[in-house]
Amino acid sequence: MELILATAACDPSVDIICAPANVNELFEFREAIFTIAGFPVTRTVILILSIALIVSAFLFFGLRKKSIVPTKFQAAVEAIILFVRDGVAKEIIGEHGAKYAPWLLSIFLFILVGNMFEVTPFINFPVTSRMALPVLLAVITWVVFVFAGIKRQGFGYFLGIIWPSTVPIFLRPLVGLIEFFSILILRPLTLAIRLFANLVAGHLMLVLLIVSGWVFISSVGDIGARAGIGVAWFVMGLGIFVFELVVIVLQAYIFTLLSAVYVQTSLYPEH
Amino acid sequence: MDQAAAEALAGAFKLVGYGLAAIGPGIGIGIVAGSAIEAMARQPEAAGLARTTMFLGIAFTEALALIGFVLFFIA
Repeated sequence: MELILATAACDPSVDIICAPANVNELFEFREAIFTIAGFPVTRTVILILSIALIVSAFLFFGLRKKSIVPTKFQAAVEAIILFVRDGVAKEIIGEHGAKYAPWLLSIFLFILVGNMFEVTPFINFPVTSRMALPVLLAVITWVVFVFAGIKRQGFGYFLGIIWPSTVPIFLRPLVGLIEFFSILILRPLTLAIRLFANLVAGHLMLVLLIVSGWVFISSVGDIGARAGIGVAWFVMGLGIFVFELVVIVLQAYIFTLLSAVYVQTSLYPEH
Repeated sequence: MDQAAAEALAGAFKLVGYGLAAIGPGIGIGIVAGSAIEAMARQPEAAGLARTTMFLGIAFTEALALIGFVLFFIA
């Protein structure tokens, strides 16, 4: 409803495309719905907490009765867990990767459900399009892969980054500088921006197309046959909906995959 | 130049900037996906490995376009 109000300034008899007047609507913080002990609770916070509930319930009810012949639901849950454990953790990190599987599974399911809110009717808001959440997830990944490196190689991990011994000695300062920036700064930054920008872009496309369609079709009395453009916007919006479903799953997968790759490179720097 | 015209011009430059930022990653993703298809066709038994590597390559390449997209909003 708020999104529809954003186009109130749009005059469909003049404008071809009705863009929300203020795109910053997506980035601004809304007022808190209520406050618990000084912590303001916004819609985003409620959605984040509901992600935790949904994921916990999904895993709990899926794995409650571990029968030999699984029900369909249990088989689906097990398929996702096996996909993350064998397809991501063991394949990327190696045999010892199963240790990281619970963390990767949490990241995967959290981002997947958070992204799914983008196409859930009546919610239509990907929680991961708030920059705070991708940044938090990227910082967690950063902490995990830096600590994995320190645990395995000691402080030689940092030495290996800024003074790489496989490079000719006169190139080491330059390569070390580039490696330092790319591993410790650019990695978490791009990890966060990738998730954030994909979801914002998808959300913007959906909002523009479907809201434009709604504005045009609903003003059929004023502008006559030109309202037909709205049908085209609407159909395109539904096409983007399907495309976004693919993006949602792919982004959750890519975030998990890249986290695993980063852990792998800090565990086995020779590869 | 008055204020409104300057803002409109700035918006137009942002759009051109994003368009330029999308050229390189567009070509790059094409190369990555094309090579992955070639690898899968030559060696179907290694398709899983090629697919995983393709997603990784796309993710790294795509980052540049997405940084351009974010700069479009904050510039």
